[in-house]
Amino acid sequence: MENYTKYKLKAYGELADLLEGKDNLFIIACNKCFKEFETLQEPDCDAFLKLAEGLDKNITGIAKADFLCNKTKAQKGLPAMIPEGTEHVVVISCGLGIQTVADVSGRSIIAACDSINYTGHHGMALTKKACDACAQCYLNITGGICPIVDCSKSLVNGQCGGAKNGKCEVSPDKDCAWQKIQERLEKQGRLGELTAQSVQIRDYSKVNFKVINDYVKAIRGKAMEGWYGGVHPVEGKEPTEAKPLVKFPTPETAVIPLSMHLGAPANPVVSVGDHVEVGQMIGEAAGFISAPVHASISGTVIAIEDRPHATRGTCLSVVIASDGKNTIHESVKPNKPLEELTADEIIEIVKNAGIVGMGGAGFPTYVKLKPNKPIEAVLINACECEPMLTADHRVLLEYADDIIFGLLAEMKAVNAPKGIIVIEENKPDAIALLREKTADIEGVEVLEVTTQYPQGGEKMLIKRAMGRSVPSGGLPADVGACVSNVSTVKAIADAIKTGMPLIERVTTVTGKYIPNPGNFVVKIGTSAADLVAACGGISEGDVLVKAGGPMMGFPQTTLDTPIMKGSNGIIAIDTDVSEPQECIKCGRCVDVCPMELKPLHYFKLVGAQDWQGCKDMNIMDCMECRCCEYICSSKLPLVTMIKMGKNGVRGMK
Amino acid sequence: MLITELKARETILSYATGKVFIINCHGCKEIYFPEHEADALQKELADAGKVTGIFTTDYICNPENLKLRLEKYMSAIEAADAVLVFSCGVGVQTVSEYLDSKRVYACCDTYALPGFQGVTPLEHDCDQCGQCYLNLTGGICPLTACSKSLINGQCGGAKNGKCEVDPNMECGWERIQRRLAQIGRLDALKCPIQVRNYATDDEVK
Repeated sequence: MENYTKYKLKAYGELADLLEGKDNLFIIACNKCFKEFETLQEPDCDAFLKLAEGLDKNITGIAKADFLCNKTKAQKGLPAMIPEGTEHVVVISCGLGIQTVADVSGRSIIAACDSINYTGHHGMALTKKACDACAQCYLNITGGICPIVDCSKSLVNGQCGGAKNGKCEVSPDKDCAWQKIQERLEKQGRLGELTAQSVQIRDYSKVNFKVINDYVKAIRGKAMEGWYGGVHPVEGKEPTEAKPLVKFPTPETAVIPLSMHLGAPANPVVSVGDHVEVGQMIGEAAGFISAPVHASISGTVIAIEDRPHATRGTCLSVVIASDGKNTIHESVKPNKPLEELTADEIIEIVKNAGIVGMGGAGFPTYVKLKPNKPIEAVLINACECEPMLTADHRVLLEYADDIIFGLLAEMKAVNAPKGIIVIEENKPDAIALLREKTADIEGVEVLEVTTQYPQGGEKMLIKRAMGRSVPSGGLPADVGACVSNVSTVKAIADAIKTGMPLIERVTTVTGKYIPNPGNFVVKIGTSAADLVAACGGISEGDVLVKAGGPMMGFPQTTLDTPIMKGSNGIIAIDTDVSEPQECIKCGRCVDVCPMELKPLHYFKLVGAQDWQGCKDMNIMDCMECRCCEYICSSKLPLVTMIKMGKNGVRGMK
Repeated sequence: MLITELKARETILSYATGKVFIINCHGCKEIYFPEHEADALQKELADAGKVTGIFTTDYICNPENLKLRLEKYMSAIEAADAVLVFSCGVGVQTVSEYLDSKRVYACCDTYALPGFQGVTPLEHDCDQCGQCYLNLTGGICPLTACSKSLINGQCGGAKNGKCEVDPNMECGWERIQRRLAQIGRLDALKCPIQVRNYATDDEVK
């Protein structure tokens, strides 16, 4: 693989002249990018150090950074790095890093390097020199061989001194580009196309630093609105976003896992042979971080055994055979009106209804409603930033009143003066509807945010809506926020209004391999296979089925799993057959990580089982949003490695 | 790290006189890819019954993964008279080298993105001139901050700190002078002229 060294140290004489009369130097070196990631030890820094010591200079400090051109990170880290007494900052980096340091530090800087000109290396993978980005692609008339890059003189018309035996006149080692073009076109029987083509004079005026730079600034500005990083995967919501919710029929058998939440699994309180009714508790919470589970249908308990589970392999589950009657249990009855309920009563209702975070994580909601710090705002996460899923979108449109009711209930429970419903701009109908319905409600507002993944991540959401950063290892309550998914507040509204615990949810079934995609209101415990069958099954092909969306969903090997409290979707998409390649330090993962981590290092550190190293680089802050893996130009399984790394850190003494 | 723009509609349609197979590359989409325009055009072609398959992926500039990923589409590619590639020039060349007996058409023009080094650039540009001037200019690059990339000699004259070429653009040399004054290094401007060496990397080594 080629080594795309980005810069080289200036010559000794030039550096000696530069350092003449200057002393007290702080050295900052960039760990080069776009090269195979083997080691962080770049020789340039040591070479400069030796030179400076030879000249008897006082070095106040040395620092090495990844991607020094990343201004956001330079601003946070650099100023504190420069020790007192430093007179000059020596930068060992390409021109971007040097300018960033000059800009951020506001100091006298010494550029110790020259950037290496390597036009034509514009792809992300390390390949041979290929595209000069001339803005006037000639590849269509040249059989896909670039005359700008491959011809020594970048000729597109007119003549050169003449190739000899297929070799360039400039260098006999180099193939003549135009000869290659001719051969390729001949092979395709297209030579006539080239000779019939009128000359296309090259337009040198198109490439303009300023226009493109302004453009880049604009898109970057939007991408960085509120928080750092994030990606924009293909949304893929069109097939289902306009499809109204369909009530899925009561299943003949419901398989209800006792663990559909974060924390201890519920303990079963029914036995095989028992008759149960809709809304009846069948498993009780087994601790503070736990949640009860309820029967979603009426009928007979036919088994309590391990059954397949979409995220955990298998899980102890209560299997109920329906009696077809859907008789409602006596415990299900409406509560007092919201105005008459106290905060503690609301929390108790939420707890007993088995309500957990329905965005996927499944954290017991009642625990969030008992924060140990004052809450300023309840945020309703209606971003649905996960591509392809439209369940929350439909809930917003079809249960708007319940959502507002649930939000007010949460605000009352945590005594918050403010409620903010955060919706991504790709759901304008929902934004308009909720704005209209909340116009007269004091303290409640609808916030429209850019469509960007993972906008709905708890920490991103808080940063965007409140401008506050949840500290590493901290909770939303630490910054006065309480965040709930939109389906969660709908469930709270149901529990208060009708007394019905969490026994059904809205799920999207979609993807290229689903003939009739849609959004469904599904009883918990319904088989995913039945749901998919109702959508026309899965068509032939190399299909990847995931529980959840394409970014955070769990790959499934069987559809014999039940819909659970956190099941927001089932998708059937194309498999990817790419193979991991060496990391080339392209820096994309660092650029997109919303937690501002450096995922590329985890790959190395986990490979070396360096758990302390993982911990030092804050691996535990990773929320596994998969942005890094999505953007990785070497297609490395970064999240799998990070999960291993986290387990390694947890296992440390 | 490329910005691509769709070629003119008529141009693209002229490549699709027969059946086509379409490859979209989303590898650099975070910077820019004309996703929606490309989708609309491809839908039009598909509705006209001209498309044997559409494959959207990332980093087609990586030849190994391109080959692996194209495998299951080979029959659709066989059935097409031409392959339309919506990507930067590197992607098009990677595809046309792999499918070298097939007509492969570029549907985008590729624009140079200044500052193509390291992480996606935020606001600084580097022209990779191989002859860093930043020491003399307080860390502001005259090659990219000045419309004419002047490092010696004169321009037509800045007016009120704005460039003669574009009145919305600050004069790069005024910025340099301000920065140097700020850090007390105006003396740097008195250095002898360093004439720019235009040799390419092949010639420098």
